[in-house]
Amino acid sequence: MKNFETLVYESAKVHGHLCPGQIIGVRMAMLGCRLIGLTDPTCHCQIKKLIVYIEMDRCAGDAVAHVTGVKLGRRSLKFADYGIMAATFINLETDMAFRIISTEEARDLAPFYAPVIVGKSAQQLEAYKLMPDSVLFRVQRVNVKLKEYDMPGPTRKKVSCSRCGQVVRDQREVVIEGKPVCKPCTDDTYFSNAHETIWDDMDWVPNNGASVSDNNFIQKNDSK
Amino acid sequence: MLKKVPVQKAVGTRLAHDITEIRPGEFKGAAFRKGHTVCDEDICHLQKLGKNHLYLINLDKDEIHENQAASILANGLAGTGITWKDDPKEGKICLYAEIDGLLVVNKANLASFNMVDDVMCASLHSYTLVKKGQQVAATRAIPLVMKRTPVERAAAIGQQDGGTFFVHQLKNLKVGIVITGNEVFNGLINDKFAPILHKKIEDLGSSVSGIEFAPDDVALIQQAIKKHKNKGCDLILLSGGMSVDPDDVTRKGISQAGATEMNYGAAALPGAMFMVAYIDKTPLIGVPACGLHHKVTVLDLILPRVLIGEHIGKKELAFIGHGGLCMDCPECVHPHCPFGKGM
Repeated sequence: MKNFETLVYESAKVHGHLCPGQIIGVRMAMLGCRLIGLTDPTCHCQIKKLIVYIEMDRCAGDAVAHVTGVKLGRRSLKFADYGIMAATFINLETDMAFRIISTEEARDLAPFYAPVIVGKSAQQLEAYKLMPDSVLFRVQRVNVKLKEYDMPGPTRKKVSCSRCGQVVRDQREVVIEGKPVCKPCTDDTYFSNAHETIWDDMDWVPNNGASVSDNNFIQKNDSK
Repeated sequence: MLKKVPVQKAVGTRLAHDITEIRPGEFKGAAFRKGHTVCDEDICHLQKLGKNHLYLINLDKDEIHENQAASILANGLAGTGITWKDDPKEGKICLYAEIDGLLVVNKANLASFNMVDDVMCASLHSYTLVKKGQQVAATRAIPLVMKRTPVERAAAIGQQDGGTFFVHQLKNLKVGIVITGNEVFNGLINDKFAPILHKKIEDLGSSVSGIEFAPDDVALIQQAIKKHKNKGCDLILLSGGMSVDPDDVTRKGISQAGATEMNYGAAALPGAMFMVAYIDKTPLIGVPACGLHHKVTVLDLILPRVLIGEHIGKKELAFIGHGGLCMDCPECVHPHCPFGKGM
């Protein structure tokens, strides 16, 4: 794993700004990986061993994701929308799992650790670099029962919604009267009043439809 | 796990904790110690103490008794120069100075420790001069029974950087004094500063190796400093010439003598025009004239810290501001007052 300073620098760049949450997230991820025995989670030999549940959609969440390399698309990043500054790190090889919770008291203790820094955010940022893990975090050993359909890898199952025909992957369908139904058809959704629409430039395709090979893509990006 | 039983039915059982008795103005302590087997004769006494029920304890695997918790906590908090006995009284363990010296408290540790639920620690102020055997802090778990993990977490916080409390022995330094000022040098007035500084130094266990007098002349002050330095002084105290008058050139003399770090101005009254400088690693302390007529000044706050080897920089002189205002009481009771204790 890269050193703390490098991880913070990179994480802030990816996230968009340096903030106390970046420090918390980077340190949380470093501790989590250490506890489950991963020394370099983004390297090829370890990247498939790790799953992280993140319980906050806040700055720290991005930092945890950056340090660990977990991604939603790889299914290694799970979002549990609890609104809690916590994340659980699971080693799939050993089943070892630790939930790390950022302590609320760390905010109040910032003036003790960085008394010469003026400004709440700047003081927290500096203080969080100096606090020991034992002050920044509480740690719980936990069991996480991962379902087959939550695991990384290819889609395990596809079904079509019995009402609208939409394909639903990985057992996210709801069974009603013995038939699979997609979430939108149950009205248990984050959106409402859905209706199909048209939009401007509906015929747009990248590069005016010219095929783009992998090689071209890589070369074009490299030349930037 | 705690089970509550009427005191009459507790006969034959062992007490789960010390039971405190308070007789105002007369006694405060354990009437019964943990482990005492309750007998018929105790019932009346217990009831007089307001105990109509007692707890029987059956600890779960992850639980510990307050006494065990207090031991874990004390072990975490104690740094070098601190001693404690694994003999909790009323669930509390006291920490004592193992030697004469200066108590130093890691306040970030202490604050962090006390932010853990169900544990506490209270202490004397940091930078209090203490004697061997003097109590400097006490700690305890608040509940009678608590989970082991938070206790161990609190202890780990307390142990950060080697502990939360330290007593550092004051070094026996060889101190050179430079008394500046034309009025003293030319014999217009008698010096009264040297005896005051001499006493303060000796009271703290160091010795004065020599006193040099210099007029308000940069080169001669520089020479006086170098003379002490060449004699191998570990610390040089300079008095006079620390103010803002045109004749006040002591600071320039210190600078010319090769000071690599100079911090002028302290957030304390009396003692604003105080200075701590360093030539290599040798500290030089510039004492303003207030040291002549105030019993206690910023010098009394900083000198013990220099004698334990602490480096005094800008922030050390700045942070004494909170509580750095002497109340100038008709009868000075320092150190039993707030002066210099707000850091």
